[in-house]
Amino acid sequence: MTGIGWGVRSLGRHPLRTALSLAGIAVAAAMLLDMVMLSGGLEKSFGDLLLARGYQIRLTPRGTLPFDTEATLDGASRVVAALRRDPAIEAAGAVLGTALYGRSADSLVGLFGYGVDPTAQGLYQVTSGADLTPGDTAGVLLAGPVARLLGVGPGDSVTLIGRLDPQVAMAAVGRRFVVRGVVHWLYDHRGQLSVGAVLPVMQRLARADAADRASLVVIKARDDGAVGSLAARLRREFPELEVSSVADLVAHFKLRLVYFRQLSYILGSMSLIVAVLLIATLLTITVHERLGEIVTLRAIGVSRGTVIRQVLAEGAALTGAGGAIGIGLGLLTARYLDAILTGFPGLPAAFSFFVPRAGTLGTAAAVLFLTGSLAGLYPAWLAARSPIAETLRAEAT
Amino acid sequence: MTPPLLQAADLRKDYPMNGETVHALRGVSLRIDPGEYVAIVGPSGSGKSTLLQLLGGIDTPSGGTVELQGTRLDALSDGDLTRLRLTRFGFVFQRFHLLPVLTARENVELPMAEAGMPRGERRARARELLAYVGLEGRTDYRITQLSGGEMQRVAIARALANRPAVLLADEPTGELDMTTGRQILHLFRRLHADGATLVVVTHDERLAAEAGRVVHMLDGAILDRCS
Repeated sequence: MTGIGWGVRSLGRHPLRTALSLAGIAVAAAMLLDMVMLSGGLEKSFGDLLLARGYQIRLTPRGTLPFDTEATLDGASRVVAALRRDPAIEAAGAVLGTALYGRSADSLVGLFGYGVDPTAQGLYQVTSGADLTPGDTAGVLLAGPVARLLGVGPGDSVTLIGRLDPQVAMAAVGRRFVVRGVVHWLYDHRGQLSVGAVLPVMQRLARADAADRASLVVIKARDDGAVGSLAARLRREFPELEVSSVADLVAHFKLRLVYFRQLSYILGSMSLIVAVLLIATLLTITVHERLGEIVTLRAIGVSRGTVIRQVLAEGAALTGAGGAIGIGLGLLTARYLDAILTGFPGLPAAFSFFVPRAGTLGTAAAVLFLTGSLAGLYPAWLAARSPIAETLRAEAT
Repeated sequence: MTPPLLQAADLRKDYPMNGETVHALRGVSLRIDPGEYVAIVGPSGSGKSTLLQLLGGIDTPSGGTVELQGTRLDALSDGDLTRLRLTRFGFVFQRFHLLPVLTARENVELPMAEAGMPRGERRARARELLAYVGLEGRTDYRITQLSGGEMQRVAIARALANRPAVLLADEPTGELDMTTGRQILHLFRRLHADGATLVVVTHDERLAAEAGRVVHMLDGAILDRCS
């Protein structure tokens, strides 16, 4: 047992006080962790989501971002054909997004329709049933919520009605499709009612077939390392279009979230300060309580260095234990908060606000541990500088 | 003539109290030879404990010098003085001043750990010392589980841990009843018989009577010496 061991064991003298302090440190650590996850989590989650199917570049009408407006580009087939001839491009496909309706008994349900090229799409993953085939003009894909709402599954029929005034749509004759599969639309918000069909079918439903319109074109480059140069070249080749790599979109997103990130930094720093103050206060109190013991150790020849180390070790032990509890607490609260925040309308359900990343978490843990340990500096100095004889005299009276 | 083990020359200690200067020691000179058992006696406030603290390098004098085997304590840096206290002095306090969160053995091991003694060696020595003071069955007891007399015996074992040149004890029986005080008295007698140099500040006449020399103090000065 060394002086350091004594210091750490001393924390057990007042179990309730130590437990309360640990709880306080854990809460501060949890908040710090959440803020760290939040500060970089959004952009990480956004980048991961955009790359979920491996498509690194998006082409959209000039001045727009994917699905940011209802703007469309004309001559989608011509653009896609030109892109597919490019040896640097592995796959390219056009996507059209449009509002439409589905018939449920004798009422209409508002839906969002995706026109896709099943051979080159970065929008969905089939969860049950089958995917569409390129020439499948009779099949549709449904999001889970639509399948549940309409009470249908793969092999069943559904009626879809295109872009019409709802009043007119009631009277309009819809077109029947066979459900090929139920899919998870990557960019849908929670509960979004989405359906998909091959692009020409959706263009007809949206009355966008004449101009061969699409909302965007997704591109998969053969070489991940050459995405930047490919995007630059495509900007020159398609000056009428907006060419955005995932990195561009993340940078754009980051810019929009700058205040959000600043807020998380401020709250994170505040929680760090709270943790430090808590540890410093507790250690100062315990040092004052144990001053007699400390000066006795000094009297029998224990060095100032050992006394300082033992107080710092107490701080480190408190920070370590509080931080460990805080990690669990932080991950739990992050999950809970994420469930609330991703429920906001318009946000992709697959989006995550709190993304744990080993590097960031490691840095946060190291910063917490270091600052928490350093919080013991003042009480350690106090302990090491106490006059031995004077304190012993005071203890004796 | 044998050189002194510990020698104080014209020791003075003043300190402020309530705006006035207290002259705790007024020019005390004292020589302690190796193997001596010296008792310092006197009424409260006579400067006994202050003298002991100055002899042990716990406090610094306002004037005069203390030498341990020819080394002037005032010439040492704080670090060297701390090291000297650790290795050359053994301290026993009236209120034991043991660490309650540690066991008896761990308390005894602490100065040895500080001195850098390997774990196995210090563990063995701690057991040996606790056996010497009659606590072989209490080595793993927490301090709070021990009686006052047992605590003081642990404190004596701790003081002996690094084989000090001199053992300084400040009222070692002051907190003990007569029976347990007698046990400490016997222990000191045994220590002396085994060759230890002892300087004991005490009010306890029985303890003083055991000493080879009694130094009487009054008002910060030594009155006389009795053998």
